[in-house]
Amino acid sequence: MAGVARAGGDGGGSSNELQWCFSQVKGAIDEDVAEADIISTVEFNYSGDLLATGDKGGRVVIFQREQESKTRPLSRGEYNVYSTFQSHEPEFDYLKSLEIEEKINKIRWLPQQNAAHFLLSTNDKTIKLWKISERDKRAEGYNLKDEDGRLRDPVRIKELRVPTLKPMDLMVEASPRRIFANAHTYHINSISVNSDYATYLSADDLRINLWHLEITNRSFNIVDIKPANMEELTEVITAAEFHPQQCNVFVYSSSKGTIRLCDMRSSALCDRHSKFFEEPEDPSSRSFFSEIISSISDVKFSHNGRYMMTRDYLSVKVWDLNMENRPVETYQVHEYLRSKLCSLYENDCIFDKFECCWNGLDSTIMTGSYNNFFRMFDRNTRRDTTLEASRESSKSRAILKPRKVCTGGKRKKDEISVDSLDFNKKILHTAWHPTENFIAVAATNNLYLFQDKIN
Amino acid sequence: MQNPESSCLDSFPFSEGNYLFMLGRGLKRKLSDYEENMAGLSSAFDSSRSLPYPLKRQLVLNMCLTKLQTYKMLVEPNLHRSVLIANTVRQIQEEMRQESNQQPVNICPGITPSSHSYPGMESSGISLQLPSGISQQESSCCDLRSVEDPIENSLLIVSDDDMSSAISSILKDLDFVEDISPPTCLVPSGDDQPKFPENTGLKLEDDRQDLKGAECVFGSFEISNSTSYLKDLAIDDIFEDIDTSMYDSDFCCPPLMPPRSPSLATEEPLKTFPSCNSSSASNIQICRTDLSELDHIMEILVGS
Repeated sequence: MAGVARAGGDGGGSSNELQWCFSQVKGAIDEDVAEADIISTVEFNYSGDLLATGDKGGRVVIFQREQESKTRPLSRGEYNVYSTFQSHEPEFDYLKSLEIEEKINKIRWLPQQNAAHFLLSTNDKTIKLWKISERDKRAEGYNLKDEDGRLRDPVRIKELRVPTLKPMDLMVEASPRRIFANAHTYHINSISVNSDYATYLSADDLRINLWHLEITNRSFNIVDIKPANMEELTEVITAAEFHPQQCNVFVYSSSKGTIRLCDMRSSALCDRHSKFFEEPEDPSSRSFFSEIISSISDVKFSHNGRYMMTRDYLSVKVWDLNMENRPVETYQVHEYLRSKLCSLYENDCIFDKFECCWNGLDSTIMTGSYNNFFRMFDRNTRRDTTLEASRESSKSRAILKPRKVCTGGKRKKDEISVDSLDFNKKILHTAWHPTENFIAVAATNNLYLFQDKIN
Repeated sequence: MQNPESSCLDSFPFSEGNYLFMLGRGLKRKLSDYEENMAGLSSAFDSSRSLPYPLKRQLVLNMCLTKLQTYKMLVEPNLHRSVLIANTVRQIQEEMRQESNQQPVNICPGITPSSHSYPGMESSGISLQLPSGISQQESSCCDLRSVEDPIENSLLIVSDDDMSSAISSILKDLDFVEDISPPTCLVPSGDDQPKFPENTGLKLEDDRQDLKGAECVFGSFEISNSTSYLKDLAIDDIFEDIDTSMYDSDFCCPPLMPPRSPSLATEEPLKTFPSCNSSSASNIQICRTDLSELDHIMEILVGS
């Protein structure tokens, strides 16, 4: 595509000059991956300075971007570990004899309102509000206790002194401020903070609850799709999200490939949707697995609130909120898998839940695939790219080479055939910096950070 | 070009034995054999264009039922996957129903829905477990089929009832008992309203509510979510906690114990447990895993 090279810069410019290069990788290099280290969620905060990951072991690791150094003004700041804490522990539900996994399903940041940072993290059953705060000063010269903390004998105190604040090494503390428990019978798959910054929703397979961030002993059930007779159950909730600007609007997706938009002003219980998004099925591509692959694994509003994106097994779809009968854009992520569905069903890969994300300008969307590939789709130019998160291409500032899957016929050099794909290396979680061309890609236990090449 | 059907057949000795799911010992070994064979079959499905449609459908159906069977053995089956698989089974079931409505005879004469009601069968209805009586019928059935369809011969014929009961049983298992009075108070609209199913399972549900009201420890001790099996029995609220799948079957079984009042619930389990065990043993074949689960429960109850 000829034409003026648009200024890449900040904000996710969709220039066809955009190239991605390696920035950093976090995580162990061992071949043997501990189950607990597998990353299960990735999320930038509102400014992009903090990047949180959750893993199957229930831990949260927060990376902070270093301030850009004066000597290298063009180099983007590195992300280094800021805080690590154990968010959830494995639990045992004695009433039902069930183990509750500590795996962090989702992390969502709250907008920053003071010096501390707040985030919500959830496992299958319990949501926790964490406060991450810095401490870089400590008080010295107490009257009633020694520097060690031992109490001084009041009799021995002869004079009063005013404690002074002395600098200390930066300490980042994470403390749980709220624990929202016992509201979900089924497994929580989504949490979403409302634009009022006071409430949030949590969704499990059959219900969605509305919480106030300050109140832990009460939640309102706003969607309940559990039938009176479980034998009639044919559909579950797979994801839910609040509208980024309208605090009364949220959407939830289902296992049947439909999305319902609900308005909380219309009734307390939002079982009846305001809008129903469904694409009519293409009869020519019908198979035994049609329903399974239509199940939506993620739904995300665009930043401007006009569109939403859904991810099903083989594609990503962009919907205009004003048009319910079909998506405005459909992108095939890995159509070459359509002829392999039976094998993918047999080994359960067909149930993998891929997430998707928008860039800051809503001009590009990204999602993961197998073999540690991830895909980007430029909505304006309609060009798509396949990149790989691998140790081999992990040299500093090395430009990522686009990858291609050979679907049939003669395999060209550098192409990889469908049968050679490693289905154990799946990229389910990706995140895009809110304002810059900087992405985080979770590949099993490693977190890859890529940035656009500075032209 | 190598016939994909024959290539996967070579590694897969076709006999009912490979599809036997012996619950208990030997399960793991059988499953891994099975998994290898299924991988071969599913790649045959994907790669071959010559596999006839009914065969493909049968293969998918068997895979679905196998997965549902596997999930049932988990303590907590995945609801999302179970629903998706159940819907796939329903879809195939509907297709097969329509076909059988159009064609008068296509079911093997030896295998009819009623003949699946024989003692000892796991009540889930998935007829993957074949006692010797049925295998004779099936082998005579197989004689009627052409020898060119070895895959079809070995893939078990699954009746409509089997599919329905497979779906119902997995979905009912996922109907978790919910706390009526949890520590956090939920708005009533979110709580489960007391359920009122149309059949005689009604008493069961009511008793469950009563039991919860009494805050009986045993009332909430759900061993396995098998209360769904008790459809036609006027069952004691005590037994709702105990895995009663051994009592369930497709034919009528006389109630084992007269109903007792809920107030005696706390003392009942220890007294009635051994007696119900022995009375049932004479009636119905007991599945091995159910027995080991009962043993485990007994250990907990007596505090050993």
